[in-house]
Formats: sequence, C-alpha cells, structure tokens
Amino acid sequence: MEELDNTMIGRGRDAIDMILDSGSFEENHVGAFEFDPEYGPGSVVGTGKMDGMTVTVIANDAYAFNERFPVVFGGVIGLEEGYKMATAVYRTIESDKDKPLAEKRPIVLIVDTPGNGPGKLEEIAGMNKSTGGYQLALAEARKTGHPIIAMVIGRAISGAFLCHGLQADHILALSKEYGTMIHVMPITSISRITKMDIERLEELSKSNPVFAAGVDFFYKLGGVQEIVEKPEDMRDVIIKHIKEVAALKAEGKSELLGPWGRGILGNERGGRTHRMAAIKKVNEEFDAVADKYINA
Amino acid sequence: MKSWTELANSSFFDANARERALGLVDKDTFTEFLSPIDRYCSPHLPVLGAAVEFDDGTVTGVGLIGKHPVFVVSMEGKFIGGAIGEVNGGKMVATIRLALKAAAAIKEQHPDDYAARRPLVAISFETGGVRLHEANAGLLAHAEVMDAFQDCRGIVPIVSVVGSKVGCFGGMGFVAAATDVIVMNEEGRIGLTGPEVIEQEMGKDEFDASNKALVYRTTGAKHKYIIQDCNYLVEDKIGDFHNVLAEVADIPMDEIEKMRRIGSLKLVQEQQGLVKLVGDMQPKDSMDLWKHFGNENPAELPELSTAEFLKVVKRRERA
Repeated sequence: MEELDNTMIGRGRDAIDMILDSGSFEENHVGAFEFDPEYGPGSVVGTGKMDGMTVTVIANDAYAFNERFPVVFGGVIGLEEGYKMATAVYRTIESDKDKPLAEKRPIVLIVDTPGNGPGKLEEIAGMNKSTGGYQLALAEARKTGHPIIAMVIGRAISGAFLCHGLQADHILALSKEYGTMIHVMPITSISRITKMDIERLEELSKSNPVFAAGVDFFYKLGGVQEIVEKPEDMRDVIIKHIKEVAALKAEGKSELLGPWGRGILGNERGGRTHRMAAIKKVNEEFDAVADKYINA
Repeated sequence: MKSWTELANSSFFDANARERALGLVDKDTFTEFLSPIDRYCSPHLPVLGAAVEFDDGTVTGVGLIGKHPVFVVSMEGKFIGGAIGEVNGGKMVATIRLALKAAAAIKEQHPDDYAARRPLVAISFETGGVRLHEANAGLLAHAEVMDAFQDCRGIVPIVSVVGSKVGCFGGMGFVAAATDVIVMNEEGRIGLTGPEVIEQEMGKDEFDASNKALVYRTTGAKHKYIIQDCNYLVEDKIGDFHNVLAEVADIPMDEIEKMRRIGSLKLVQEQQGLVKLVGDMQPKDSMDLWKHFGNENPAELPELSTAEFLKVVKRRERA
C-alpha cells in the first residue's frame, strides 16, 4: 500500500479545499437558498470561487453516516443524498435563470462514491428515483448552459458514477497512481457472476477496455476526457476544462459535450467504435422507411 | 410466430422481446432496426467465450398507433438477463433519438395535424442493467439514454412498459423512473438494487431474497402503483398494454408532464416528502406504507386480482 499513501480516496472535503480559491467554500449555500445541514449528510453541497468565478460544488463525504438510512456511509449516495444533490443543481439553475449563457455558473462534481444506497428502505421508497432525479437535474443544467466538470478523485463505481459524474460535460480523473477506481464491478465479482475463469478475464482485461476496470480504459472509451497526473494539478485542469466547455457552449457545439460527446470521443480514440456503427445503421434503416411513418 | 391478433390476447409476461415489440404497435406496422438478418452482434462476447444473439438481445424499431409513429425498444431477458452492452445500448439510444427527428419532420410537414401524429417512445424493459461482459460500454450507454430522455422532455412522451420475468433493475431501474409514464402488469418489478444484493448487504433476517412475496411487495407493480411510481396497472395481455399506449399517444404534453415522478425541483420536493415518511416510519415491509395511505387490510392486497385491486386500492396522494 506504500504507493497509495497519497491517495485521495475518502478525502472529498480536502479536495474541495485544494480546488477552490482559499477559504471561499460556503457549505449548504447555493444562490439565495440554504440547505438543512442535517439532511443527506453523505453529500456535500455549496458554493465557492475558482479564480474568482462563482461555482457550485457537489461532493461525497466518506466520513458521514446517515442515521435515518444506515446504509449511507463511506461515500454511499442514499435517498436523501441524491435529492439533496439534485436540489443543489436546480437551485443553481434557478440562481442564474436570468443570466446570459456566458454567465451561467459552472458546477464542479467531486466524485468519490462506492455506490447508491442498497437497502430495503431504499427500495421501498424508490432509490431509483433519487439517483435518476439527480441525473435529470444535471442533464437539464448542462443543456441550460452551465459548464459541468466531474473530477474523479477516488471511487467512481457503477450506478453511483452514473448518478454523480456521467452527466457532466467533461469528466476528469486523477491518475491511477493515486488509487483512483472507475468500474462497474471488480473482476472477481464479474468472474463469479458470469462464471468465467478469473485468470482468463485478467489476461483479457489487459487489452480490452470495454469491460476492464480502470481510469486508462475509461479514457480510451471516451468516458474520461483527461487524466490529471497529480492532485496539485486538479485546480488548474478543472479551470481549463470549465473554459473549454463554456467556449464550446458559446459556439453552439453542445453535441461534443456530455454523454453524446463521450460517444464521439470513444469512437475517435478507438475504444468504442461498434456503438457508432450501430447508431449509423439504425439511422439509415429508419431513413429508408421514414416516409411511411411521418406521412402515415 | 403468432399473428398480431393472437399476440393481442397473449400474456405479456410470457412473450419474448420481438412479440412484445410487434404487439405494442398496430397490426402489421412494425419495422425492425438492425434485425437478426443484419447479424449485428456484440463483438465483445466471443472474445470472452460467450454466445451472441443476432439482435444483441434487444429489438428496436418503429411502428404506428393510429398516425403516431411509435419508436420501440424491447429487451430480451433470456439473453444475458436483458443486459445492456455497446451494440444494444447504441441501438436503444439511436431509436430514442429518432423519435425527436421524426417529431421535427412531422411538425414541418404536418403542422396542423401534429397532435394526431406526435411520436411516442415505448420501452419494454426486461433487464438487470449493465452487461458485465462489456460493463464500461454498457455503463456509458445508460448515461446516453438519460441524456436523450432530457432532450425529449416536453416534445415526445417516453413510456416504460414493464411486466416481464427479469423485471427492470440496476441502472435501467432509474432509466425507467426517468420516463414520463410507467405501465405495468401485476408481475412487473422495478428497482435499483436486486433482492439478492439487499440480502447480502442487510442479512437474511432483514431481507430474505428467497421470499418471493416479500420481493414483490418491495418492488412489484402493486407497490409501485400505490406509491404512484406506476401510472397504469393493466391485465397481463399485450393488447392491454397496446391500448394504454394508444391512450397516452393522445394526451397533451403538459398533462404528460404531470404524470412524471422526477425531473423538476417540484417533483424532487414531492419525493423528499415520501423519503421523510419512510425515514420517520422505518417500515419493516411495504405493507406498513400501504396502511399509511389508507389501505386498512394491506395483507389482502397481494392476493387480489388486478381488477379487484384497482377497485379497492388507496394510493399516495400526489402533491
């Protein structure tokens, strides 16, 4: 574990301090809205400055425990957490609703989460709505013009990464030297569920980005825009990407951003070419019959 | 293959993905995209020594209901649990986006008849979410679907159709939650975390995954209907699902918006009310919640037929 002494896993709050202008973070404030500090303790929301720009920050708190929903600890996103994060996004949109595109404040997601709340209470209330609601909020903010940057500092696992990260305009990840983990499931679990030999899976995972765990593979698939070499660089790289994203939005090139943009990038990087080919073929097959359906 | 009329009277639960796709739209109107004839399979499965299907386990295409083009995605649970990978994920995203393209074309070519021709997206979910053999590509596809849904908001209704063996779980559980309208038969189940994983996390005393009745009470259609996570509960006939789609196709978009569960601050606040209730009550079983919503004898509800249930059930009041 020696090489992981400097890991950022579990250090969402430290990352906020490293990224923002010194002392600028106001937790539980977004625009004129204040959050109940007791609600959804597993997530951290607030407002800060980056190079003088006002930004909304949404992060995970790996040291918080939610007494009402005890599956929430270690950075898990539970029912309250998902809705709290969604609310921070909607309050961001509301705060800038009368501002021109160029002044829509960025949203920075600091990602270090092992999963969505996996419990009975969660299923009874519908955890799928909490995590889905947060994603729709982010998609709306992105399409409204807010630049959204996700910075993966630790764990970005499966559904929790879909919820907190994969709706961003650009996704950045700290290099694997820092223990950063992006995956759906560890290879041991994949082996158990698919009943495939673990040694063969490990061998294949060295070259096949579509199932193997890791930051570098997600980069090849277009899932990660840029790998950040060390934590000290995070702030500058995030600022650079905020500017890039804002410029693309100003030029009306939003198709190059977000999930669709990552599809284009994955095709360019050669990691996800079959998806694009399938999409192209579906479009061609519809074009051939479109008249019958449009003029029914 | 059964005729359309036979399909209309057939069990939705027992139908395969292609039968559901054909039966959800009007007779003889379905055109399949990337059908098995195209043999557009997953290139990743053979590498891992797994078998392929020529449609990659998902049927996509377009049909009509009246003059409404209906863009259909139908998942096959018998093929790797209906899970989503690179190719079938791409088919799904492309098909949803085509509804927007069709909407724009119809608006231009039939401006006075748009309401009668407005497209619809119908997704028949039978899936556990991400396909582990190509997990990363499957994960990214989920995000693309959510993104496409947001593009469709207020323009094209998206309807979830859930009533097959595997249910709708994992990432596709929140994809379904993010649609406008949810239609289920009694056997339908929607959730995020599957029962086995809950048992693993909480222990068998707290949640016994082999207790089928408990599993249905937690994620099944009747529970979803009571808490307003399901808009229409129908008999297990493909024709009944078709009829609901026909009804939804004619509902104005501002009324469709009111059928949603999530997608605005107001809806988030409504859901937070439900979360507060569950947090305060700490229900041992969904039945505690059913009772709270005014069902005096919750234990009898699972036993009732769909028709009897619909007659007596009390649902959560919407804000």
